[in-house]
Amino acid sequence: MHLGELRKGQKCTLVNIHGAGKLKQKLLDMGFIFGVDIEVVREAPLYDPMELRIQNYLVSLRRNEATLLEVKVL
Amino acid sequence: MIKVALAGQPNCGKSTIFNLVSGIHQHVANYPGVTVDKKVGRFDYKDKKIEIVDLPGTYSFSSYSLEERVAKDFLYDESPDIIVNIVDASNIKRHLYLTFQLLEIGIPVVIVLNMMDVASRRGIYIDAPKIQEMLGAPVVCASGAKGEGGEAIMEAIVLAYQQKEQYQNFKINYEELEAFIHEIEAEIAEVNVPLNRRWLAIKILEEDKALVEKLGDNFTYLQEKAKACEERFHATYDKDISAFLAAIRYDSADVIFHKCVKVTKSHEETLTDKVDKIVLNRWLAFPILLLVMFLVYELSIVYGYKLTDYTWPLLAMFKNFVIDILPEPDLIRVPMMTDLSIWMVNSAIALINYIPIFFILFALIAIMEDVGYMPRLAFILDKVFKKFGLHGQSTLPLVLGGAMVGGCAVPGVMSTKGIADERARMATILAVPYMNCLAKVPFYTLLLGAFFKEEMGLMMFYISTVTLFIALIVSKLLTSTVLKNRETAPFVMELPPYHLPTFKGVIIRSAQRVWVYINKVVTIVLAVAIVLFAMLQFPGLSEESQQKYDEKIVQALSTFDTKVKKSSYYERVDTKEEVSALINYYDNYKAKRMVVSGAEGAKSVDESFLKKDAKLFIFVKPENDKDAKMINSALRQISNVRKDVLRQIKNEKIENSFLGMVGHSMEPVTQFAGFDWKINVAFLSSFAARESAVATLGSLYENNKADSKRAEEAMYENSGYTPLHAVAIIIFMILTPPCIATMIVVKMQSNSYKWMFFAIFFPITLGVIISSFLFSFGSVAGWSGVEAMSYFYVVVVFLALFLGLIPNRQNGWLGGFKHKSS
Repeated sequence: MHLGELRKGQKCTLVNIHGAGKLKQKLLDMGFIFGVDIEVVREAPLYDPMELRIQNYLVSLRRNEATLLEVKVL
Repeated sequence: MIKVALAGQPNCGKSTIFNLVSGIHQHVANYPGVTVDKKVGRFDYKDKKIEIVDLPGTYSFSSYSLEERVAKDFLYDESPDIIVNIVDASNIKRHLYLTFQLLEIGIPVVIVLNMMDVASRRGIYIDAPKIQEMLGAPVVCASGAKGEGGEAIMEAIVLAYQQKEQYQNFKINYEELEAFIHEIEAEIAEVNVPLNRRWLAIKILEEDKALVEKLGDNFTYLQEKAKACEERFHATYDKDISAFLAAIRYDSADVIFHKCVKVTKSHEETLTDKVDKIVLNRWLAFPILLLVMFLVYELSIVYGYKLTDYTWPLLAMFKNFVIDILPEPDLIRVPMMTDLSIWMVNSAIALINYIPIFFILFALIAIMEDVGYMPRLAFILDKVFKKFGLHGQSTLPLVLGGAMVGGCAVPGVMSTKGIADERARMATILAVPYMNCLAKVPFYTLLLGAFFKEEMGLMMFYISTVTLFIALIVSKLLTSTVLKNRETAPFVMELPPYHLPTFKGVIIRSAQRVWVYINKVVTIVLAVAIVLFAMLQFPGLSEESQQKYDEKIVQALSTFDTKVKKSSYYERVDTKEEVSALINYYDNYKAKRMVVSGAEGAKSVDESFLKKDAKLFIFVKPENDKDAKMINSALRQISNVRKDVLRQIKNEKIENSFLGMVGHSMEPVTQFAGFDWKINVAFLSSFAARESAVATLGSLYENNKADSKRAEEAMYENSGYTPLHAVAIIIFMILTPPCIATMIVVKMQSNSYKWMFFAIFFPITLGVIISSFLFSFGSVAGWSGVEAMSYFYVVVVFLALFLGLIPNRQNGWLGGFKHKSS
């Protein structure tokens, strides 16, 4: 399952990042490390991007980027 | 002098702390070769001189983003004495992630726990001495927004500097990776750098190319070696080095968090959560966004414009003052000095007049940045702009550029600075100048007033809304062609907690941006204005024409002479010099009377002119003196004749000038769009400032008989244009290249002359092609002006919608499930 499929209010833990280079490093630096808890706080009014709570702060991510994050729903 | 680098993650309140310690003793420049701001502050503390450099806010020290590269280059090249690391106390864990990377560099670090007030409000208690002990770095508590902690930070800097010799390098135990680090460290043991070799080794393992290049040609093999290490590490432990490092650093931050931080109120809804529930609500987000944009527009453009009603008289006073001290014209011979000075003053005040608008605008932007609304704006609209190769953060630049009835591309382009995605940033810089420029509005009004009296509202609607679609089309075209291979960035954007902006911070930032405008833009525009002046003045009138005009004025003088001969005041006006002085006196009087209002104002003008020359005043205001009245009526006549001759001279000068020649020589091309040389000249002269297009056109079409016809009517009657001509002109004006001021900021923001020239010539080509096509086709098909404009509008809107459906490619990163199988 990937993060892009999740809807508002769902929670998950990060299993793997299927990306490379810039995107992966950026995600790691922003706290997307394996095993971290992610909560989908809300979706933008036009459904994309999505707002996530991670490491106790808020971050937005486009859905097509979120599909690269393999997660396990809690 | 103690050199200090200020580092921290975005939204840690770094600039508040910077303002707190350096006050107004700061200046902004760019880091070499890039458009990232470099703020430097200087201050004294306990007899020590301290220079503090504000590094760009970065989440990490990898080298994927421009800001990270800039910050790392600075640390490497300048090797500061102390690093001050600002940490948001209310979100300490993520901010400590950067702290660990800073500690490894090998330069003593002072940690500042900022926003302590916010933290305690959220029930977060931090044991600062314990952190200090665990990390071996001094920890200072501060609250920048409240102005607390400045003194303590300075104290800590000086103390750390004095104990620099005793500083021991900080080490994280990277467990499985240690063997690899030692391996690389051995390779670079001989390198002479002031930074920690272990840190360099870690960076090399992170495959930091820029850093390896800095070490010199002898070490390029290290890149291969790092790759080999990565493969070996992956084979042995089934982990990537980058992910492994990030995990250890986050774990280290977690250890500090658990040992030193106590959270008493858990999972309580914060103010930010509550506000976001409204501001980002599915149904309320758009109305609120529109309201905010409307307010920004209303307060800056509309009220700022009203404010210029108060500043304009000051500028006009300055202009009058300059005119007063310049040599006066001798009948129809105006000294070059006078002409040039008036031209320059006019160009300067046209630009300076915008300063109130810009100041309000920059202040509002600073407030929105500080409050935290900017990323939310991007969050709401990203989906729309993404389709055109833009970014959610392109919203504000486009609105400022003129989303409604008119804006200005200068602040629009200047506000593209924060856009993280390089390709979208370039596309925004190049698209904003297509938006509806405020100074184009008088030009449209002139043409609409002349040719579309009935359909003015509809045409104005077309003009002001079509610009956004054109900007979107242009950015889509550019991002899928010339900008195709530019770097893009993932939309991993923090939505920071809301904060109240500080008054000082907002004022400092907006003043700095206004200063950039004055410093960079106004000076260059003035230089160009001189060139333009020369091109409009030279080569000037031919001998014959000069003679022709001289004869005219000699004739007028003799008529004047005959008429006033019988007056008892005749000896006051019986020489040419006296008449010339009288005409100047009269014209000056008229000009001054025009700008004052009410009986009071009129009286004061009268008094000042009476004081200046009582002997001449009686001819200006003869009251019941018959002999003076005689001179007065002759004076009026000769003044009008002179004005008329001056206008003819001006027209002839423009037509014969270099610019006029260029305008003529362009006719073979522009005739297809229906433009004659006059329109060409108007467009050419509008480069300096858009306002001059109206002035030039106005003077070219003014009726040579000095009647009171308005410019619209004069143009309608004298130009011989049809409404279709007018539409072609309007469309060219919509697409027309940015003014010089905009080009300068395009150069500043894109950091390249190539893109500046592109920003000039691409719209010209586009404009000529589209208006030629529409005019030629419309002439054959017999379209009316409104028809032509409507067809144009519909085509543009549909093209924009169609282009929005074509997906853009993302560059700079790959991956996803689609690559998994390979």
